This record gives sequence, structure tokens and C-alpha cells, in this order.
Amino acid sequence: MYDAIYIEGKGRPAATYVFEHFVNDAMSAASSKGMPVIRVVPETVVSESTVVATIEAAINAVFDNVASALTKPLTPDEMSPKSREPENPPRIIFKGTLQEVNRFFYQRGWTDGLPVIPPTGEAVAEMLTGTDLAPDALIEKLEPRLGKATVEKIAVNAVMAGCLPVHMPFLIAGVRLLAASPGCGMMAASTGSFSPFWLINGPGAEDANFRSTYGATSPGDIANASFGRAMGLITKNIRGIRKQVEDMGVLGNPGKYSWVAAENEENSPWEPFHVGRGFKKDETALTLMFPHQYQQMMPFGTDDKGILATVVGSVVPARMGAFAVILTPNNARSLADAGWSKAAVKEYIVKNTVVPEGYYKRLGLDDSKPFDRGNVAAAADKDHIFVASPLDPDPVRVFVFGGFGSWMGFLQGGPPPMTGKVELPADWPQLVKKYKNVVPTYARY
Amino acid sequence: MTSDKATAAYEVLSPWAEADPVPLKGLSPRLDTLDGKKIGLLCNSKRAAPLILDATEKLLKQRFPAATVSRFFARSFSVSSLEKDRAQEFDDWLKGVDAVIASVGD
Repeated sequence: MYDAIYIEGKGRPAATYVFEHFVNDAMSAASSKGMPVIRVVPETVVSESTVVATIEAAINAVFDNVASALTKPLTPDEMSPKSREPENPPRIIFKGTLQEVNRFFYQRGWTDGLPVIPPTGEAVAEMLTGTDLAPDALIEKLEPRLGKATVEKIAVNAVMAGCLPVHMPFLIAGVRLLAASPGCGMMAASTGSFSPFWLINGPGAEDANFRSTYGATSPGDIANASFGRAMGLITKNIRGIRKQVEDMGVLGNPGKYSWVAAENEENSPWEPFHVGRGFKKDETALTLMFPHQYQQMMPFGTDDKGILATVVGSVVPARMGAFAVILTPNNARSLADAGWSKAAVKEYIVKNTVVPEGYYKRLGLDDSKPFDRGNVAAAADKDHIFVASPLDPDPVRVFVFGGFGSWMGFLQGGPPPMTGKVELPADWPQLVKKYKNVVPTYARY
Repeated sequence: MTSDKATAAYEVLSPWAEADPVPLKGLSPRLDTLDGKKIGLLCNSKRAAPLILDATEKLLKQRFPAATVSRFFARSFSVSSLEKDRAQEFDDWLKGVDAVIASVGD
């Protein structure tokens, strides 16, 4: 819709085909850009369809509407739309029991379906102790709704998700990253069900109890569980991306509940990921990636040859977007002991992950275009699966996290990752001390 | 826990962000007819998009024989917001057409 709005702004009438199930999404996008009266033509072509006969029939059925959208005289409202005030609820929105609060929030589409902690004034005030910033400080306006991500609004969503105040600096950094990555809005709304994956580096990760070892991305830790969850609530309640309204993910993605790991810096033989991105080792940083896919592999072998063969032999040509290989500390140690630097590992993967000879022909497919349509550079190199481009000059990343073991993982999809610094408040040591012991103690049986 | 609102325990803040009113813009004047006009066909990188425009071009030529078409292929989901390096190319293309039919593949 953004292109149609741009075109209308340049003085040219536009008509945009929109799949009939995507009209709400299209109109939310148009309203957010100030053109709620844009003319769309609903049609029945399923997203990503390639069946020509079906497409021709669908377009034939609505072509008169296209012609009409370009020629039917404008109404007064289309020429000069009436101002529409955004819905700005009062600060105190409800009073009720735990169950009533949850029912009220759920029915307004403000939750992820799980129960929330009621964001009372007292709970929000405690959350605000996690930052030096004033409650009304505006961090960003988040697209598409351009909702104001004030510190207090972030804190309200953080309380709902179950965060502790030590997580506030990470949430503020996360909001900044969402605004900085131009493709983020589309990723959260995309049919591909791309999910944010958050990698945390630096000393603040351990301070705030982000898990980097066994089951780093599994449920069970407040930090990993609530940080990603709060960012998901922020996506709904501040950005305004709601399921089947703006978020048109077809299959969905459980990562949207929360998908967070700290890098296992302590046991990695290499420099931490954020150091490779220009940050200092003693700085705390957050990296945002938007994969649609997570694959775990048992390596062919646990020596360097087996680990690298697993990557170059298992990545399929029908992939798209950013790529990260997840190594356990043992995997990384095997490679380092055999003389591999992280840069050399990445270079090896880019060079040797190739499209098998005759692959497309064997499948009866056209091999004239690369499958990774987001990578324009791929068209010039059809033999390689990872092709550096101006958008993504470093197409393979290496993350080291997880427990001591051999399983390895691939994250695939979305725009290149973004990394940003987490600014910790002046009283961080006191804050860490207050919440450091909020950890589970499991009974033996 | 009571369900009596008079003794309810939680007074809660709204998680829904405030937003400023967005300055609204109207649409461009429409054409009197498509016949004899140059119609821009814009498709993004989604794979249904060019197929939709192929079908559109066929119908345009049938219904409005004097109309001509010019295509613009975006490399991404949105040329105007994600392809800043092509801003001039896109503007030049727009100047050369009378109206645009856009296919975004969704």
C-alpha cells in the first residue's frame, strides 16, 4: 500500500489489487500513512499463488473494478478525507479482579492469549526503577500505527509479560532496534510468519539472568521468557500489528511468544557476536533477527569436518533471507581447536554451500531465477546458496549458545540482523543485586 | 478473589499506545477513460504479482485497445519505502504514465 500512497502523492491515480483476506491489513497500512480512502480492488488470488489459470479467472472477475478505481470520480471524502482521531484510551483503563482484568485485556486484543500480570500503578512504578529515563520519555514511534513507545507504555507491557525491572534496559534497546530496521514492520506482518529472535551479548546478559546454556530458547527462565513476550505485546499494543488484522502470517510461528538466547560467551572460543559487530566486549548489546525457520541438526560428525559438512550439505536451495548457524560451545571448540576462526568458518560456508548439479532440472523447475528473490545479487550467481549482496554483505552469521552437546541449529529468513547497545542505568549494580536471586530452585526427586 | 467490582483489587493502566492524528491526504484526480492512456503496471517482488499483471495487461488490451502499458518491477515488497537507491528511477517512470495498477502479490 505504501507504493500506492506514494503514487497518489505524485499526482497519479492508483488502483491496487489486494487479496480479499488482506483488506484490513491494507487499510491499516493506508491509514497509518494518512490515506484511509485509498482505492483497493479486493481479489481472490491467494498470496504466493503461481497457478496462472486461477489468477486469470480471479483478475477477470474484478477487472471492471480496477477500471472503475481509476476512472470513477472522487467523492468529497476521497478528495479531502475527514480527520480521524486515533483511539487514545485513558491512562487508567479498567478496575477489576485478576480474572476480570485478564478478560478485559484479552477481549480488546491486547494479550498473546496467555494470562497477563495486571499492570497496576504500583507494578508499573516498580518496573520504571529499571531505567533512568522519565516515564513520559518517547523512545520511538513504531510503525505502522506510529504508536508512541514511551518509557511508561513499555513498562506497562513489560509488567503484563512478567518482566523484572532489570529487563527494562533491554526492552528500550529492543524498541530502538525495531524502529531502526526498515524491514521489521513488514516482517512482523508478513505471510511468512517471521518471528523476532533476540540474541543478547555482554555482561548485562548474565546480570539479568538471560540463559545462554542448556535450553536457552526453551521456557523456564523469566528473562528469556518475558523479554521476548513483552516485545511481542509491544508489537501488538504499540506498533499495532495484530493477528489476522495486520499480522497475516499464514502458518504462524511459536517464536512469536518469545525467542531469546544469550550468547554463551564464557564457553565460546571466539569473540562474542557483538564484538564482531563493532561493540566492546564489556558493552551489553542486543541483536534482532527475523527468521521464519528454525532447524536442528545432529552433525555428521563432531570434528570440524563433520560440523562444516552438516551446514554445507543440509541447507536447501529453496531458502531465503538471513542465515545464522547456531553452534554449541563444543561445536565451536572443535572448530577452533582445528584452527578455524569464526571468519574462516563463515567464508567456508559461503564458498561451499552450493546448489547441487542439476537440482532444478531434476525437479522439473525453471532454474533461470534464484529462489531467494529478496537477494538481487543471487541472480548473478546461481551456483551458490549464500551470495553476498549490498543489503547483506555478510550473509552467514555464527551464534554460539546452548549447553554442552553436539546438536546444532540453523536460523533462516528475514532481513540482515541489527545489533544495538543496551544502555544500563546508573544504579545497575544495585538493581542487579535486588533481582539476581529471582531464579528457580528445583527440588530433587 | 472476589468478582465484586466495588471491592476489586486491580486498577490497571492501558497498554495501548497513544498516537498522534496523521495528516490526511486525498486521492489524485481520476482519468476520464483508460483508452488512449499509458497505464503503469507496478509489481513488487512477490511471485503472484507479475502473474496478476500479465492477466491485467491482457484484459486492458482487450477492453481498451488504444491503451499502452509500462511495467516497473520492484526488487522488494515496496519500492518507495525500501529501495531508496531507485527513487529517481521510480519518479521518472511515474512521470511517464497516466495511472498505475499495482499488484503486491498479497
